[in-house]
Amino acid sequence: MSLLASLLPPLVGVLLLVSGALKVVRRSLRAQAARSALPRLLKDPNRAVWVLRGTGVAELAVGIGLLTAVPAAAVGGALLGAAFLAYLVAGRAVAPESSCGCTASDSAPIGWHAFARAGAVAAGAGVGALAGDPWWTAFAERPGVSSAMLLAGGAGLAWLAAAPEHQWRVPLRRLRIRLFGHPLATGAAGTPVAASVELLERSLAWETVAPIIRSGLLEHWEEDGWRILHYAGARRVGDAERPVSVLFALDARATRDGLTERVIRVGVVDRETEEVLTPELVAAPGA
Amino acid sequence: MKNDTPRLGRRGFLTSAALGGATIVGASALGALDADAAFAAPGPSLDPAISQSAFAEGRIGAIQGSLLHVAGSHGERHRIQLTNATSVWKARPTTADDIEVGDGLYARGVPMPDGTMAADAVWVNIVNLYTTIRGIERQRLHLAHNNHALVGNTIPETSASYAGGALTSDLSRLRIGQPAQVLGAWRPADDSIDLVRVTVGH
Amino acid sequence: MYGSMAKGERPRRGPQRPSNEGKFIVACSSTSLWAGETTWFCCGAAWGPCGSAGGGACGNCRSAANHGAWPNASQACWDITRPDQCGEGGIPRRGCGSVMNVRHQCSGATVCITITDCGPRTRSFCGEQSCCGGSCRVNRILDLTPAAYSAIGSLDSGVLPVLITE
Repeated sequence: MSLLASLLPPLVGVLLLVSGALKVVRRSLRAQAARSALPRLLKDPNRAVWVLRGTGVAELAVGIGLLTAVPAAAVGGALLGAAFLAYLVAGRAVAPESSCGCTASDSAPIGWHAFARAGAVAAGAGVGALAGDPWWTAFAERPGVSSAMLLAGGAGLAWLAAAPEHQWRVPLRRLRIRLFGHPLATGAAGTPVAASVELLERSLAWETVAPIIRSGLLEHWEEDGWRILHYAGARRVGDAERPVSVLFALDARATRDGLTERVIRVGVVDRETEEVLTPELVAAPGA
Repeated sequence: MKNDTPRLGRRGFLTSAALGGATIVGASALGALDADAAFAAPGPSLDPAISQSAFAEGRIGAIQGSLLHVAGSHGERHRIQLTNATSVWKARPTTADDIEVGDGLYARGVPMPDGTMAADAVWVNIVNLYTTIRGIERQRLHLAHNNHALVGNTIPETSASYAGGALTSDLSRLRIGQPAQVLGAWRPADDSIDLVRVTVGH
Repeated sequence: MYGSMAKGERPRRGPQRPSNEGKFIVACSSTSLWAGETTWFCCGAAWGPCGSAGGGACGNCRSAANHGAWPNASQACWDITRPDQCGEGGIPRRGCGSVMNVRHQCSGATVCITITDCGPRTRSFCGEQSCCGGSCRVNRILDLTPAAYSAIGSLDSGVLPVLITE
């Protein structure tokens, strides 16, 4: 037990050093603060940033104290852990959807993980206050058992420090891509229809006839290198409306990244009589 | 539209109407950035055919022929009439035959005197989510959306836009950790989404 | 009425507005406010993955209403969207309930919306452009509900260039 009491402070110390350092140096701390429950609790986003940064400094100080076996640091750590627990209880009550803001990239809502982490800090530092020897003396006396305990404790704390959504998976997935290459297609499939639609919707042709188009894209097909896009619309004849088909033909390979001038042809047809209405409805600009 | 022979004949006619139509040159990839000029620019010249359109949202409870019974997410009830001029989107432009009970839907159309809505366009199961890419596999992306894990399946239509570029079928430049706007079709069966466009920044 | 711009800050785009603006905001009038890209998002009770969105930053956002999300709806909102990282630092504060008129730059279609949420994440897509009619709109500075977006464009298009007036 006395060995455990001696070895817990450095473990908690490292955890506090890491989370404290990230809070102090992190540039996007404002965004982290905004996601946390602090602005709601303090009613001021600017104060929330300062509180978060101040907490980081306190964590650093206590972490260094625990590593160098300053007796007061164990008490400080226990108080810090207790304060985290109180904050989490308040945060969960006031803003249950907000994140804990505890570790650097944490954006998940406050859950049992955050409570376990704060509890570990309070308990670890509290037990450490009972230690007789500094950790290096205890370690030197029984190096084998101490190493095993430190390793097990370190793994447990690392797991607690990680966000709940299994963040260890992401580095593994990154590694797999690095080793085996990118698994997704490099796009030999030609120009996606969505790219043609995008080109069309940013074109002068679209601008010209958009007011009579009512539907989204009804259907599309290709013919002789042209991609035909078919929309339904309506035109006003007196007080009545008549349904029309609006057709666009554009180069099947063209996208808005191309540098050449894009030619788009437009046709308008009465859906019932099949009368071609293009000359009546669409005057080519500049003509 | 229902069987192949008239469709080929109809498509041939529509193709000739398109290719024989007015030719409009010019798009605008290299345009000016001056917003003042844009605010001052006149609107389009054609009279809008639609004065006011209506909108409906919800899940499809029953399908009677071309009439969809939709339960709105806030307790409303809609009856949505599809016509042969209604566009149907469900991961791709498709027909009413692809719509199933249990699908989610957004519809734009015109309110009719009998209380139905004559739909101009319906988008089935469409979602547009701000996510972070958490994993890339051969046939799926692992995404995080609002702190929830989400699986995005790649389909033949899946396209990507990188740093504002045009849509491409090249998905090999997606990276783990990137924020990504994901437009796709939700699959009610397994709560995953079929990816249609994945937009990432720099 | 709404949180105002800091002294010395001015919109980088869009004509300068008179200093006494904002006292009486007429619903959807024609004073230019900002220009840029809009995307769409879902909120309120909803089906599918949208179900987790909730009522948005203002609590009353609904997909079926003509609502929108503004990147400077509050300071906390700004800290998440960070349009200043894309050179859009002058976007004025417009809180919950602000009314805007949104015009599709290419088609001229317009819709009148109420701000009920915070968004979009401008900083994640810096420099993205949508062009038509010889001019380009840069950066995502507005998010519309499906009802509002579909009133001026097609939901499957994902992003549109818009001019915003108030």
